[in-house]
Amino acid sequence: MIAIPTILADSEPSFWLPAPVSNFAGPIDGDFYFVYWVSIFFLVLITLLLGIFMWKFRTPPGAKAQSHKDHHALLEVVWTGVPIILSVMMFWYGYRGYVDMVVPPNESISIVAEAQKWAWNFSYASNGAVIPGMSDDFNDVRAQIRAGALTPEEANAAEAKILEKAGLHVPMGVPIDVTVMAADVLHALFIPAFRVKKDCVPGRTGKLWFIATEPGIFDLFCAEYCGQGHSWMHSKVVVHETVEEYEKWLAVAGSYDETLPFADNGKIVWKRRGCISCHSIDGSKKVGPSWDGMFGSTRKFAATGTPGESIADEAYIQESIRFPMKKIADGYPPQMPVVKLTDKELLWVTEYIKSLGQNSGGTVSPRKDN
Amino acid sequence: MSHPEIDPLPESEDVKSGAGAASTDELGPSYLTVTKTISSWVFTLDHKRIGLMYLVGVLFMFLLGGVFALLVRTELFSPLAILTPLFASTPEAQADLYNKWFTTHGAIMVFLVIIPGVPAALGNFVLPLLLGAKDVAFPRLNLGSFYLWVTGAIFFIYVLFSGGIDTGWTFYTPYSAESGTAVIPALIGVFILGFSSIFTGLNFIVTIHKMRPKGMTWFKMPLFLWATYSTAVIQVLATPVLGITLLLLILERTLGIGIFDPRNGGDPVLFQHFFWFYSHPAVYIMIVPPMGVVSELIATNSHKRIFGYTYIAFSSVAIAIFSFLVWGHHMFTSGQSTTMNIIFSGITFSVGIPSAIKIFNWLATMYKGAIVLNTSMLYGISFIFLFTIGGLTGLFLGVLSIDMHLHDTYFVVAHFHYVMMGSGLVGFIGGLHHWWPKMTGKMYDEFLGRIACVMVFIGFNLTFIPQFVMGSLGMPRRYYTYADKFEGYHQLSTIGSYVMAAGFFLTAYYLIQSLISGKKAPMNPWGGNSLEWHTPSPPPLENFYSVPVATDPYDYVGMEYDQATGNYSTIKPDQLPARREER
Repeated sequence: MIAIPTILADSEPSFWLPAPVSNFAGPIDGDFYFVYWVSIFFLVLITLLLGIFMWKFRTPPGAKAQSHKDHHALLEVVWTGVPIILSVMMFWYGYRGYVDMVVPPNESISIVAEAQKWAWNFSYASNGAVIPGMSDDFNDVRAQIRAGALTPEEANAAEAKILEKAGLHVPMGVPIDVTVMAADVLHALFIPAFRVKKDCVPGRTGKLWFIATEPGIFDLFCAEYCGQGHSWMHSKVVVHETVEEYEKWLAVAGSYDETLPFADNGKIVWKRRGCISCHSIDGSKKVGPSWDGMFGSTRKFAATGTPGESIADEAYIQESIRFPMKKIADGYPPQMPVVKLTDKELLWVTEYIKSLGQNSGGTVSPRKDN
Repeated sequence: MSHPEIDPLPESEDVKSGAGAASTDELGPSYLTVTKTISSWVFTLDHKRIGLMYLVGVLFMFLLGGVFALLVRTELFSPLAILTPLFASTPEAQADLYNKWFTTHGAIMVFLVIIPGVPAALGNFVLPLLLGAKDVAFPRLNLGSFYLWVTGAIFFIYVLFSGGIDTGWTFYTPYSAESGTAVIPALIGVFILGFSSIFTGLNFIVTIHKMRPKGMTWFKMPLFLWATYSTAVIQVLATPVLGITLLLLILERTLGIGIFDPRNGGDPVLFQHFFWFYSHPAVYIMIVPPMGVVSELIATNSHKRIFGYTYIAFSSVAIAIFSFLVWGHHMFTSGQSTTMNIIFSGITFSVGIPSAIKIFNWLATMYKGAIVLNTSMLYGISFIFLFTIGGLTGLFLGVLSIDMHLHDTYFVVAHFHYVMMGSGLVGFIGGLHHWWPKMTGKMYDEFLGRIACVMVFIGFNLTFIPQFVMGSLGMPRRYYTYADKFEGYHQLSTIGSYVMAAGFFLTAYYLIQSLISGKKAPMNPWGGNSLEWHTPSPPPLENFYSVPVATDPYDYVGMEYDQATGNYSTIKPDQLPARREER
């Protein structure tokens, strides 16, 4: 239905660096190789001198040194001065390259990347669509590749299928202004192929921008340690060849199919908005309680929030989503972020939880508790 | 020569009789044998015994931290779960376990091994000897800092047994404010260790100011003292900031006061500023003392005056000063202001200059020297090579534009391991070999020593060079599992860590063997001329039989080697034909 560019970019990764596919890759790689060759020069020089001196002046114990000269002003000036000059050059290159990265141009396309434990959500300013990172689905594909269940072609097709409604999508050749935010703890948005990275700090916004220079699919990582799912919190960047293709994709991907039953859309919300990372639907214990059989059960609350207990009815579920720190399920850490669902999403996900089994009272304790 | 009992510090008949010692004078008991009760060790005020107890503690913690490093490296051999399924059943619990392993490795190595390694363990033993003094200025405070270290270590052991901690050694908020693991005991442990470090620093500053012997002006001190002094200043000035920060974090966790957690109105970036205001200078607490060790190793084993004494001395001081002004370079991507990023980047490069000066002066010291390639010299040379790589790769990270790409990747991991382990710990191990005969009175097996050093050197590079490559290719740090394309690099790295571990186990073997059946150490086995080589190995209780007069520590002209005893005999100071300062 929608064209996802599955072919790899023309640029190949080098020994040291990933394929350069943004406007910053060229200048940053240039700075990298400047420092690299200066370093190689000094490493070779120092290693050669070490080796030669070790070999030439090695003696058995008891021999006398050939010279006792212990200072040479000109040498000291040279080996202080040359590093100073090179350092100033390096600083200057880095400063120039960095300043270009700070302020996005005015005509940029605005996207908000919000990180939470352990999922990405990308909101697109042009139509307000919220597109998830779908880390869990990519992890499934990864696992299947490793298990030998998918050929490389099948894996590519599976990823393309996920990316129809997931990932950070951008058009090629247009400045993209990404505002980063975090819902709970520190995260960092890192796209190696673009050479950009920004910490997502709760309570603050950050910015990064870039112009993608080649169509393709590229890795997107969380680079700031954020706990259990840190290494699973990856997604993909899709670079569309034209703005038209990008807009076509965005129009379709951002919408829910409102003709579906509420509970079905609720399941999509569960996956899209990251509930899946902490709440299972099969009774297994993750960071948060499973939704299996939760509805209608009696919930006990830990002393860290409002202690006591109540029946898990609609009001309780919606309150817990809107104000997760108010009542903390007993036996679970107070870790749930505020996920800003739309009213419809809230309604759907409530309906979905309802559909996962209703208890007529009695305490449901988390299973596999050990 | 055989001592069948495994007692690591047996009373040696040879020491009593003086046989094999350089001096033909009748020797009294050494500091090891003068008293033998357990309480004479536990309550000792002798800096040498305290140093030795520190050494045992630090080496034990090194073993513990090393085991966690091997667990981490083994787990990363494949992106699939390898070791964690042995201990945890669900993938979530397995990831949690891995996070605890790398946190424990980092926290133990930084706070319990590298920071106290050279200053507290080696420094305590050597510093008063280098000064020709009986002890440090405040012996009781010295014992106090050791027991604070022990208390801090006990907190860490408690953390291990109470389920571990998963915040990373940096304790970044708000994760550390909400993590369900044993964060508070770990914070208290680090807080207490901080005081241990402050007291040691204070003690050394006063000792160096007040207890230098007649004739030893500031610029006639051995360079190790300059390094220790610079470090002590950092310890006293920077560590309190860490203490306050950790206390605030404890208040945040226990009382819910919003300082760092945005949910309570706090600022997580403020924590990073506070944390790095200590922890960047702390990098120099870890590296400057080993630099001082290496100055001694290179000069002594080249049997040649240290080149550029004043430049090396001032470069230590310069590093100590600059170290307070560069903390923001850990935070280039954190969202601190653009102006601050630029200023911190600029100042960061200033730290590179004194480091470069040291390297070139060490090289010039070796030129036309009489280099004896013994184990400690091999460690010294390894240090120069590894520190060169550690320093040069720091340049990449100081360049603002490149750091946007490299920050929080394995490139950073490799860089700081080259500095903190390849330089800091290798310098420590080198110093341990240099002063081992002085500490224990025993010679270790030189052949095994050199083999082990080469193993550590090769294993180290094999471990961390692949990490540079995968880091610049985009592998983020602190990952439990990773994209398949990084698997080959991780496998090389893991194999390297096994080679390195084998090298360290070999080192442990021959060092323990030397205690049991090692040859008796002469007074001056390497030909050093600083004051510790002018007293028997091991030294008597109060270090010297007669009050020593400071000589030029780098004057090796009057040294004569005796093949039979393996000893360098020095001509008495007052008989030296021409002292350098009189020329």
